[in-house]
Amino acid sequence: MNFTWTIALIGLTFGQLPDAKLYEVNEGSVYFRSYAPLELIEASSTELKGLINTEERTFAFSVPMSSFEGFNSPLQRVHFNENYMESKQYPNATFSGKIIENIDFTKDGLYTVRAKGQLNVHGIKRERIIRSELQVGEGQIEVRADFTVLLAEHDISIPKIVHQKIAEEIAVEIRAVFLPKTP
Amino acid sequence: MSKFSLFLLLFTLSSGAVLYAQEDDLLALLGEEEETIEYANASFKTNRVINLHSLESTSAGVLDIKISHRFGTLNRGAYELFGLDNASIRIGGDYGITDQLTVGLGRSSYQKTFDGFVKYKFLRQSKGKKVMPVTAAILATTAIQSMKWQNPDRENYFSSRMYYTFQLILGRKFSENFSLQVSPTVVHRNLVKTAAEAHDVYAIAAAGRIKLTKRVALNAEYTYVLPDQLLPGFRNALSVGFDIETGGHVFQLHFTNSTSMIEPGLVTQTVETWGNGGIHFGFNVSRVFTVVRPKIQ
Repeated sequence: MNFTWTIALIGLTFGQLPDAKLYEVNEGSVYFRSYAPLELIEASSTELKGLINTEERTFAFSVPMSSFEGFNSPLQRVHFNENYMESKQYPNATFSGKIIENIDFTKDGLYTVRAKGQLNVHGIKRERIIRSELQVGEGQIEVRADFTVLLAEHDISIPKIVHQKIAEEIAVEIRAVFLPKTP
Repeated sequence: MSKFSLFLLLFTLSSGAVLYAQEDDLLALLGEEEETIEYANASFKTNRVINLHSLESTSAGVLDIKISHRFGTLNRGAYELFGLDNASIRIGGDYGITDQLTVGLGRSSYQKTFDGFVKYKFLRQSKGKKVMPVTAAILATTAIQSMKWQNPDRENYFSSRMYYTFQLILGRKFSENFSLQVSPTVVHRNLVKTAAEAHDVYAIAAAGRIKLTKRVALNAEYTYVLPDQLLPGFRNALSVGFDIETGGHVFQLHFTNSTSMIEPGLVTQTVETWGNGGIHFGFNVSRVFTVVRPKIQ
């Protein structure tokens, strides 16, 4: 029985990998565009936060919904937070998971990877695989990812009266520069 | 099950759990962000409750055109279609110079009155890094009544047409669905009819909002005029109504015993009472136009 516990403990220890390599977002932005027949709405946030664990190949991103600026009017921004995203209740959009490809972060280069994880928007989690480009070099990781979010998948309902003004599918662009996390 | 397969199971379970835990840990690590200031917004749907100014201001670079109607009183009966045959109108526009400073102009058909105001929000309710329990704004208005002189033969002064209002608006958004504000008010009238009437009339107004759905809210406001300032027969104004918001428009539908839509009339000239059906049905339509577009980073 002692032997059993030893093995189980070894298993736990291996799983934890004490000296994880963490990179964190130094400069990051999220931009989105709703391109509907009657109106184009654009907004962006520079308050993107993110971490990549280069050994585990795990990652996490988070952006506060209330940090988006732009829109066609200040009222539209209020409506975005109040009526659509319900930012008080669901303050952040997050994406966290694991990079599928087994890439070597110690080698410089441009990698196209698939990031698999849970995209949480408006409190609704969806499993997504998002294609991303990673530029590794000069001690930093640059991330670019373009993808779309279907409003219906995240229970964001559009009243009939504004159907022609808000797209059902929102284009999102992520740009971020990661630097080693300082403890 | 052999002991060995039990280890394997344990091993797989533990490493799997650790992996998920790490992803969650990463998210949790992100959560350790520095505290920010979180301002309360959208305490009211627009910068008016019904007749009273709400604690909201017009956003910078936005022009808010308001067209308001008050029909006749319900107690006029079927002959006047419960007041709908008569209407009193105010047409006005408010403009946000900054997010805190709003100016506005208007013209009411009631006593042919022009009005202008300046409103400055000097405290914003916030939580987080900076805690401020209330929003506070100061409002100054001038109204000029432009009706023909009642006695053209005597010496009349232009200043006799002027009314001034100063109001402090203190309010709080208690929850997503409930906001309340209190407004100590003074209305100065340059000319009063009799010596028994006060030039400066003090009042306290209160207004609240209950958000019923994302786009519909129930509003109520009451103006209490401190005693012994007005002649008997003048009343306190009570108004109840709904705000319905559709994109760039806010429709406010309400019932009120005040004919005037601006402070001097609201505080000092309300004669109707709810008790005998002296209630006006009315609406305000607010349409916002973005004059200066917000920049995208």
